[in-house]
Amino acid sequence: MITTNSLIKAYGPKLALDDVSVSVPDGSVYGLVGPNGAGKTTLLGILAGLRRPTSGSVEIGVPRERMAVLPDTPQFEPWLTAREVVDLSRNLSAPEVPPARVEEVLIEAGLEESIDVRVGGFSRGMLQRLGLAATVIGDPQVLLLDEPSAALDPAGRREVLDVVTRLRGRATVMFSSHILSDVQEVCDTVGILRDGHLLFEGPLNDLLVGRAGTIFRIRLREPLDGLVASLQRASWAGSVEQLAPGDLRVTAIDPGQAERSLIRVLADAGAAVISVTPEGADLEDVFLELTS
Amino acid sequence: MNLWRLEWLRMTRTNRWIAIFAVFVFFGIIGPLSARYIGEIVEQFGGGIEVSFPEPTPADGIMQYSGNVQQLGLLVLVMIAAGALTIESRYEMAVFLRTRVGSTARLLIPRYVVVAGTGVIAFVAGTLLAWYETAVLIGPLDAGAMAAGMAFGSVYLLFAVAVVAFAGSALKNVLPTVIVTLTVLLLLPLIGLIPVVEEWLPSHLVGGLDGLVRGAEATDFIKSLVVTLAGTLALQYGTIRLLARREL
Repeated sequence: MITTNSLIKAYGPKLALDDVSVSVPDGSVYGLVGPNGAGKTTLLGILAGLRRPTSGSVEIGVPRERMAVLPDTPQFEPWLTAREVVDLSRNLSAPEVPPARVEEVLIEAGLEESIDVRVGGFSRGMLQRLGLAATVIGDPQVLLLDEPSAALDPAGRREVLDVVTRLRGRATVMFSSHILSDVQEVCDTVGILRDGHLLFEGPLNDLLVGRAGTIFRIRLREPLDGLVASLQRASWAGSVEQLAPGDLRVTAIDPGQAERSLIRVLADAGAAVISVTPEGADLEDVFLELTS
Repeated sequence: MNLWRLEWLRMTRTNRWIAIFAVFVFFGIIGPLSARYIGEIVEQFGGGIEVSFPEPTPADGIMQYSGNVQQLGLLVLVMIAAGALTIESRYEMAVFLRTRVGSTARLLIPRYVVVAGTGVIAFVAGTLLAWYETAVLIGPLDAGAMAAGMAFGSVYLLFAVAVVAFAGSALKNVLPTVIVTLTVLLLLPLIGLIPVVEEWLPSHLVGGLDGLVRGAEATDFIKSLVVTLAGTLALQYGTIRLLARREL
């Protein structure tokens, strides 16, 4: 649905995007993550047609009218009501959508109390919800969301994530976020940008699974002298940390061998084992590992 | 809700139309009054100094009005137009509109028409008031001259708002847009000090109303009218092109 090929965007001598090729599958929720200045907003701007690439190409499988963009801090004319903002959006992007849908979308966005209130008095969170309502009213096939949940309280964030989750399969969503737990929760595909370079792109599971299982968390009934040393001697073990008495974290450099040998090492040491669990890597760990 | 209604609401809900009408109507009332009673006013506040003024003519009533609206009226209109026509002064609003409206012409035209139209209607309303009052207080005016003068003045306002639109698309911010527009509009009469070019410049139309009621011929303004209309269209085209090429 959305592909870019060797995208370069230069601002003077600085490359905001350097040879970025992304591929966003149809109907997926694609999370674009990266530190400040990584090029996320520039990439979204190019996809939205608001900026031109210095070189490279963009292919979007839908007409521009079927795309919707939500900036990170949406703003609207303060003298318009919420209903008028969403109705304007409906009229401009999808006039075939019946006007009655405007109220439904506003209610879904949690703005039922403020439908006919002028937006000049709206909080940042309310503006974000209004922006989302104005974005989804046209039933777009592609949504580009720039930090859609950054300004929201936990309840508002939850609502935004629910809206994004509901869109999976119905529309292709690309959203940038600093909140990695949000990305991990709703995205099925991830792109990691740093300094204009795409460090990783692919299914979230591919990113995390390769790292899951390399760490084992071991809880013991009681601390056991000598066990740490035994584990450290094992050829498959990388590091062994004692997080607390009876709580060990073992990093395996050879996960297969670790799965075959770990229990034997524990048994040989006479450990009273409460649990041995593989510790899945989360996106934050992987992100820090890739971007540091 | 469409882009035309959006611009209508911008004009009415922000009370900008009141500011535009207030200045034109105010001078439409005050101009002929001050022309008619300038002697009495000076006598009243002059501290006993006796000043004699010639008997006012109907053209004096219009000149008082015209002189004031060409300065203060134009200033207010330019400021209000700059607020509406700097389409990209707020990034988030610009994103909202640019990603939903494919053509920049579709975005610009309602803004231009509503602002310029309000300015022209206010100018015509003020002129009609000044005409009526002059006729009652001083004497009748030639209807043909007044009609042509209103037409020329209106075309000049359309040109002035087109300059605002072009400056706004190039500069993005309201204050620089106002400053550049006023500079351009003030420079034109200065260039017009060169006699050969004066009758070709848009600023020549500014003196149309006053000149016509004093006996000038409408044909004296044809060259300026053509250049002003062509300039207005060229500025509109330039604005549309600039907006289309600009990155957000």
